[in-house]
Amino acid sequence: MPSTDASRQAATVELEHVTKVYPRTETGTPGAVNDLSLIVPAGRICVLVGPSGCGKTTSLKMVNRLIEPTSGRILIDGVDAATREVTELRRGIGYVIQSTGLFPHQTIGENVAVVPRLLGWDATRQRERTDELLQLIGLDPTRYRDRYPSQLSGGERQRVGVARALAADPPVMLMDEPFGAVDPIVRDRLQNEFLRLQEGLAKTILFVTHDIDEAIKMGDLVAVMQTGGKLAQFGPPADILADPASDFVARFVGADRGLKRLSLVRVGDLPANPAVTARPGDDVADARRRLTGSPSPYLLIVDENDRPLGWIAEDHLPATGSLQGDMASPMSPLLEPRTTLKDALSMLLDAGVQEGILVDGDGRVSGLIGLDAILAELSSPATADRARGSADRGVSS
Amino acid sequence: MIKPGWIADNLGVIAGALVDHLVLTVLAVWCGLAISLTAALLIRRLGFLRGPLTATFGILYTIPSLALFAFLVPFTGLTLVTAEIGLIGYTLLILTRNILAGLDGIPAEIRESADGMGYSGRQRFLRVDLPLALPVIFTGLRIATVTTVGLVMVTAVIGEGGLGQLMLRGFNRQFPTMIYVGFVLIIVVALVLDVLLQLVQRLLTPWAREAR
Repeated sequence: MPSTDASRQAATVELEHVTKVYPRTETGTPGAVNDLSLIVPAGRICVLVGPSGCGKTTSLKMVNRLIEPTSGRILIDGVDAATREVTELRRGIGYVIQSTGLFPHQTIGENVAVVPRLLGWDATRQRERTDELLQLIGLDPTRYRDRYPSQLSGGERQRVGVARALAADPPVMLMDEPFGAVDPIVRDRLQNEFLRLQEGLAKTILFVTHDIDEAIKMGDLVAVMQTGGKLAQFGPPADILADPASDFVARFVGADRGLKRLSLVRVGDLPANPAVTARPGDDVADARRRLTGSPSPYLLIVDENDRPLGWIAEDHLPATGSLQGDMASPMSPLLEPRTTLKDALSMLLDAGVQEGILVDGDGRVSGLIGLDAILAELSSPATADRARGSADRGVSS
Repeated sequence: MIKPGWIADNLGVIAGALVDHLVLTVLAVWCGLAISLTAALLIRRLGFLRGPLTATFGILYTIPSLALFAFLVPFTGLTLVTAEIGLIGYTLLILTRNILAGLDGIPAEIRESADGMGYSGRQRFLRVDLPLALPVIFTGLRIATVTTVGLVMVTAVIGEGGLGQLMLRGFNRQFPTMIYVGFVLIIVVALVLDVLLQLVQRLLTPWAREAR
């Protein structure tokens, strides 16, 4: 993990009656912010969500003073941002934007090292930090360090954008639709990767999106904003889904609130069914015996590290001999404990299967999650409470 | 018609004219670049200057070169200064326009992310804006250079001219060899400078080469 000094890891961000007024135009005043007050506790992700022109990006940019508020104060760990030297303030705040804003004339390594360079780190330290971060976001430093942004895919560029924002280990990060410019599948992967990173980093993050699903997925806290720059509701996502404060919020979160709540419960919260597994080389007769006690006629073949290779049906088992890895037919989707039920449901439906394979962080099989268990959650009144419970844990801990 | 013997006997004269031509050209383009950069920076800081300055450079550009030199002689005489004032004047429109186009063409989100990460104004200009504008600036620089190589010839009428001087003397003496030597070398100079500038541009903008 890159963070060594725990005291630098996060800071509380507090907006106090922040207002931004723009000169009135024919089309109204898009981007204006009206008396916005909210507190983001250290180490939490607060998502600002709302329709376009609701002032969410303006609010974000006031934190690093790309836009100066008309009135009100923004406190970072109790210090008024307006009193700090502006370049010094910005170097202490990570900034990621939708188009990544990577500099096309700098290599990936140079891009990541932008803030360390501005802070005057020596070359060795810059280099070490860059390699560490590229590793962290899953890009091999030796392959990527000297490439230019135009040589990377959209998803890789977004990752580099995040790495660059993390470079000087800022306590606060501002992310303006950071995953907006990539296709939905890549976006989903980037979101998951980022949430996994954040578990270790515990930065204070202000995150802007217009996508309510992204807000629910990413936010410990969600601030729903409405046109005119007014805060419509602020709280944990489960509360907003369970109890919208106004018609506007109810309409904005959509009629499928129940389904959306599924994205607040994780696969790890469900009891997993045991999987009957066998390794290539195991005796077939032995494997068949193991299946007899199981409700399912399928055997899961795993490699020597317990990573799943695929299914084989009891009927397809040869009469004698030993199991071969290539006997396994296509896999079920792999679910991780932190996969949301919503994602799990859509993965199972896409694959057209009844069960997903639960794997741990190393990819080892730890059980099976059935479609029926997920659907049971959907209709269960306990879901809302469970979702709220995990959100509350998130905020108070 | 062409007398190789004359060329062999007058290599020194030809080389001198060639060097003069190069000096006149490079001096004019360098000074032009310095003035244009300053003008472009002023325009970006003080927006109201854009109209007046580009209009001035535009008018300068439309004055026929012979007329301009004739106009300047009473003030600055038959000197290098007269030649350079004219030559520099003609580079300003092309260079200023391209520098501005290069800087204006930088995507807003690049500027914003530079600001957001804590570049100061000067740091952003030197490390982000200027490098990104280089390809467009170089396009202007190449056009200005090739144009100036041709214009230097005209300064022969005020006693400068480099290779143009060689050609003028050839005309006066009805001696075609001198004309052709000057003619061919001017083309060679224009081509070589253009290729050199392209090489420098490629060295300075490796990212543009690697793209796609």
